[in-house]
Amino acid sequence: MVFEEVYKIYWQKIFRLCMGYTNDYELAQDMAQETFIIVWQQLPKFRNEANVGTWIYKIATNNCLRQIENQNRFPKAELPVNLAEEKQATSEPQIKLLYTYISELPETDRIIISLELENIKQAEIAAIVGLSEANIRVKIHRIKEKLTQKFRQNGQ
Amino acid sequence: MDNNTINFNELWQGRTANQLPTDELLKKVNTFKTSNYIKISLTTLAFSLTSFFICWIWISYHPQLVTTKLGIVLTLLSMAIYGFSLNQQYPLLKKMDKANSNAEHLANLLALKKKQQFLQTTLLNVYFMMLSLGIGLYMIEPTGHMTLFWAIIAYGITGVWILFSWLYLRPRQIRKQQTKLNDIIGKFENIQTQLNEE
Repeated sequence: MVFEEVYKIYWQKIFRLCMGYTNDYELAQDMAQETFIIVWQQLPKFRNEANVGTWIYKIATNNCLRQIENQNRFPKAELPVNLAEEKQATSEPQIKLLYTYISELPETDRIIISLELENIKQAEIAAIVGLSEANIRVKIHRIKEKLTQKFRQNGQ
Repeated sequence: MDNNTINFNELWQGRTANQLPTDELLKKVNTFKTSNYIKISLTTLAFSLTSFFICWIWISYHPQLVTTKLGIVLTLLSMAIYGFSLNQQYPLLKKMDKANSNAEHLANLLALKKKQQFLQTTLLNVYFMMLSLGIGLYMIEPTGHMTLFWAIIAYGITGVWILFSWLYLRPRQIRKQQTKLNDIIGKFENIQTQLNEE
């Protein structure tokens, strides 16, 4: 498995996951980069190539959970200028709303719904989070209901 | 827009971010390593300089009493233990498997944090006790050459300093570390309960 390939396939997915978790563009980018640095460091030891996706998502979600102790983070100033300035402020307010609402959910719900919206199989989500599939199914249903409600309250 | 047909998937996929070129991303690995390295080096440097100074005293003043030597060894040892424990936390985190499930990872993190909590309190106490004892023993010889008055003054000042450290600095340091750790532990436990539901 070549790192460049993995990086190319999963970058946007991992960024969205981090973005859903934090709703902060720069922070999400930093977190996604941290994830890929871990992936790069551990890829030579990784054998189970069929499940590379699950593996990366586990690293990424664990990294999200660890944001609580943020002393391990890169200093902010290290972002290359062109990237930091080029904020891809999305023009669609609905997209913004969705990410805002997701980032307001409890931590594990943010992870679960992000993975679901990335079209990951529920069995795989269950493996990543460490809950039963049935439990994941119930949770996804509730989270979607909650999100729909929030959109409705906002008068969309 | 009809509320029942909000396509979350489509909205979700609508968000993208610039991707750093691979070589620039990998450059960050080095920056990260360097900044961590500097932090550890500075602590080690401070301890080394102090140790060097103490050794220099030993060599140039040829202490006669065993208490002086014992004092020096205790002081050096206390710093070594403290420095070692400081540098221990980083490899512990590094060794942890980052590709466990979230539930397992949380459990590991919590166990690690609780271990740190214990280590920090215990080690800080040991450090202070050994350091105080070391200094006390070390001073026996130099004060032996002084008049009683100055010996009392010397021990008095050192004693006050040790009491100040023990009663004020040590609890403050412990409290500071514990507050931070308790906060992190509390948040991790909160996330863990999210996983326990149902």
